[in-house]
Amino acid sequence: MARRIAMPGPKLRYMKDQEFEDEAALLLAEYSRQHVAVTAPPIPIDDIVADYLRLSVFYKDLKEEFGVGDVLGALWVNKRQVDIDLGLVPEDNPSMLGRYHFTLAHEAGHWRLHRHLFQQKANQLQLLPNNVERPEYICRSSDTEQIEYQANRFASCLLMPREMVKRAWHEWHGSMDAIYFGDLAVASDQPPTGTKDDPITRMLFEDAARPLAATFEVSPDAMRIRLEDMKLLLRKREPSLFE
Amino acid sequence: MAKKRDKPFGQVLREAREGKYSLRKFAALVEVSPTYLSQVEQGNVAPPTADRVKRIAEALGANADEWIALAGRVPEDLPKIIQERPTEFPEMLRVMRGLTPEQIRRLRDNAERMKKEGKD
Repeated sequence: MARRIAMPGPKLRYMKDQEFEDEAALLLAEYSRQHVAVTAPPIPIDDIVADYLRLSVFYKDLKEEFGVGDVLGALWVNKRQVDIDLGLVPEDNPSMLGRYHFTLAHEAGHWRLHRHLFQQKANQLQLLPNNVERPEYICRSSDTEQIEYQANRFASCLLMPREMVKRAWHEWHGSMDAIYFGDLAVASDQPPTGTKDDPITRMLFEDAARPLAATFEVSPDAMRIRLEDMKLLLRKREPSLFE
Repeated sequence: MAKKRDKPFGQVLREAREGKYSLRKFAALVEVSPTYLSQVEQGNVAPPTADRVKRIAEALGANADEWIALAGRVPEDLPKIIQERPTEFPEMLRVMRGLTPEQIRRLRDNAERMKKEGKD
């Protein structure tokens, strides 16, 4: 997703799905041990980034700084600094709370998973003039690179831990049963297609994800993705052995 | 303190805050917007007013007068105090200027003793 600005170091490693869950759970456990135990949503990502990862956070007009419209955050690995776009600060734009949390968690993901790719030793600084005064990661909503996908997966697992989502789903839905797209579509006048790109399908799913999104303080879109990922929101009824 | 004076106010504030409070938590505590607080820390806007700096310093367990000076502000009670003795106080401050911190401490101790004696 993000453009790599600095000179890359070692190659990006492929990560399995479970590894993102494990990495996120590990960070949460480390934070809980050293600071406050996190047992229920929302995940205190501000505190995790500031107090545990010890990254300096700055709110900046990143759109102006980088001259592109959709920059949300940037990470300076060697300065231990995270820049967040001013437009995301929830006190000014309450509707951005979810995006704000996700961007912080995304940068935390780069820090935990990828910082070794860019961390320099003191004697390397002069060999990398391109690195001076440029963040190592500039994260845009339109980015689709593998390294950004990994940071997003990490953010999703960190802000919506699997077990907490299951618990919240059970409380909200009354059971661990999945919600099928077909059941939601009944109430809609226009027949949605159920495909990935269909806006009505997406809207129906986001509506279904909204209550949990509020609990976890993430965007309905992020919660929809997580619930689909956990097979709690399903586009097709999965064939059962007994049917 | 000499070291601190070399740094801009925003940087001193950020370094003192970090590890204790996140931007948003601290902003809520001292009742400013997080965006504004971050701009102050980056030195993009002038440091806050003296009474706000006092609040910020107290929340961080720092010396309020020192931080107000660092912010380039004057403690709010000072103009009034000086105006109570419009010739003696400025004169005294000019004389005191250039003394060592130890000499100033002795003067202050003397003044406090004199105040106490006066009251007894």
